[in-house]
Amino acid sequence: MTAPAGTGPRFGEEPGRSAPDGGASRGPAVAGGSAVGGLVGREEALRCEGLRKAFGGVRAVDGASFWVPAGSICALIGPNGAGKSTAVNLLSGALRADGGRAWLFGREVTGWPAHRVCGAGLVRTFQLSRELGRLTVLENLMVAPLNQLGESLFNIFFRPRAIKQEERRHLARALEVLGAFGLYEMRDSYARELSGGQKRLLELARAVMAQPRLLFLDEPMAGINPALVEQIGEHIQRLNAGGVSVLMVEHNLNVVEAICDRVVVMAEGKVLATGTMAELRAHPEVVRAYLGAAQSARAAR
Amino acid sequence: MQVVYYAFTLVFFFFAYSVLNWGLNVQFGEAGILNFAYIAFVAVGAYVAGALTAGPPAPGSNESYVLGAHLPFMVALICGGLAACALGLLAGLIVFRRLRSDYLAIVMISLSLVAYDFVTNYVPLFDGADGLSGVPEPFAGVFKLNANSFIFVFDAFSAVVMGAMWWAMSRVTRSPLGRTLRAVRDDQDVAKALGKNVFRFQMVAMLIGSFYAGIGGGLIIFFSGAFNTSSWTTPETFVIFAALIVGGVGNNLGAVLGSLLVPVIFVELPKFLPTIASQPGLIPEIDNMVIGALLIGVLWFRPQGVLPERKVRFDNLLAERGGCW
Repeated sequence: MTAPAGTGPRFGEEPGRSAPDGGASRGPAVAGGSAVGGLVGREEALRCEGLRKAFGGVRAVDGASFWVPAGSICALIGPNGAGKSTAVNLLSGALRADGGRAWLFGREVTGWPAHRVCGAGLVRTFQLSRELGRLTVLENLMVAPLNQLGESLFNIFFRPRAIKQEERRHLARALEVLGAFGLYEMRDSYARELSGGQKRLLELARAVMAQPRLLFLDEPMAGINPALVEQIGEHIQRLNAGGVSVLMVEHNLNVVEAICDRVVVMAEGKVLATGTMAELRAHPEVVRAYLGAAQSARAAR
Repeated sequence: MQVVYYAFTLVFFFFAYSVLNWGLNVQFGEAGILNFAYIAFVAVGAYVAGALTAGPPAPGSNESYVLGAHLPFMVALICGGLAACALGLLAGLIVFRRLRSDYLAIVMISLSLVAYDFVTNYVPLFDGADGLSGVPEPFAGVFKLNANSFIFVFDAFSAVVMGAMWWAMSRVTRSPLGRTLRAVRDDQDVAKALGKNVFRFQMVAMLIGSFYAGIGGGLIIFFSGAFNTSSWTTPETFVIFAALIVGGVGNNLGAVLGSLLVPVIFVELPKFLPTIASQPGLIPEIDNMVIGALLIGVLWFRPQGVLPERKVRFDNLLAERGGCW
């Protein structure tokens, strides 16, 4: 990402806030005067300004700016092609932005590659479940912790005891997480052998194992049965209660309404509005661009 | 006695190819790196190890090469491994930043072809197509060995090297590093999203594999006493890949079995068969066809190889806690 010269786009629903100090600032930033969703004064988990990405002539993300309050569950919604997943990919470092800046817990992460962004506390899942298929379920979790001692050749040959101790700790935690996600019995199965729903749970469990401060979930409820939707919703709320901030791209508005504190609506690569789901239902532009169709479909059901 | 000599020659090749296969396995089987230039790393290790022990070309001879230094063979062998690592570092810097799987493989093939043409045609560096001859036999001065007894001693030495390389590779592949390499192999995007520096881990796998390639190459040149560039071409890479795929990708024991089945039984053993006078090239050609057919058969009926990658369990750690957490 390249930094725009002090011309970050303003947020549609929020009073403007001066850009952080060129990335030098470290401590958690505090959101300015937004009254949306009762989030006044909350620390920022994530802020992006003027995010841009084009694929050929298509502007997938076109100057998007929004922020995620620390400790919140925030939804990113919008019609197909709005640029939600692209925004997630840009902010998680999977794609390189054409422009704009991003901060994670007050620290500028503009242009960082994915592994560094993860190191700064942002862990993501994918739109289609991406399990490590030739690893067992337990290994999928064991691989997740950052900076493992046993990933260094030196430690492998000269600090085997320290590695073993760390492995014991990770194993204990992995089994605990698997238990919490109902996958304990499957721990020795190859991840590719799981059902679609179990793969969703595994991906979430693996992300938890990486001990995120901010969790990006790209359509976590897509293609799974209603019982599992409820279960995953509960997991997300439990994580959030434990202090993890969440940003989820989601089309299931019932879920969004039930568990999200705050909703960012994107359309045509831009942020259209921000607020609670109830506020957005009364927002004419949001209704026209997205909710109209969604609400009609809901009414029809 | 002749049969014993042949048998020990085959045993040596079994040891050497096992080392080579472990190197390829950590790159391809563990980290998913399609290194179709693998033989170039073997060749570099072989050449550097051989030249460092051989000493400079004799004045007035037609030979022309660099690095001749009369070093002890153990030092030269390790230098061969490190030289292959240096090539691995260079190749890794070229390919890992931007390329993945099939594109990476294409570039690696291209690199090996460029290297082969360069080495063959630029005579002052590695004596062109003539290569290197007269590499001193290891231990010859110490044990006063003749041609036959050398094989026994060198087989024993190769067995020790193989044992050490097995131990080290087992430590690596069973460690969290091995697990992370397999994560990188399975899905680079997921590995990155979990904070793994994929470039770094691919480089680590590349360097380990290159070191093994260099050591294996060094063993071969000390055994054969000569380096001929035409012996280190892309089809040789194909043989090592075939051995790994047949034995079992991602399994160090599979790599050992593959070394026995393909390079030893189908490549080296037929060299001891009597030549058909009217068709001297027939047996090697049949060899290649048989290896190709074997590869197709394995990929069709048992793509995981004879000894598939083993499922990793944590039973030992679980047992320490009485099996429950």
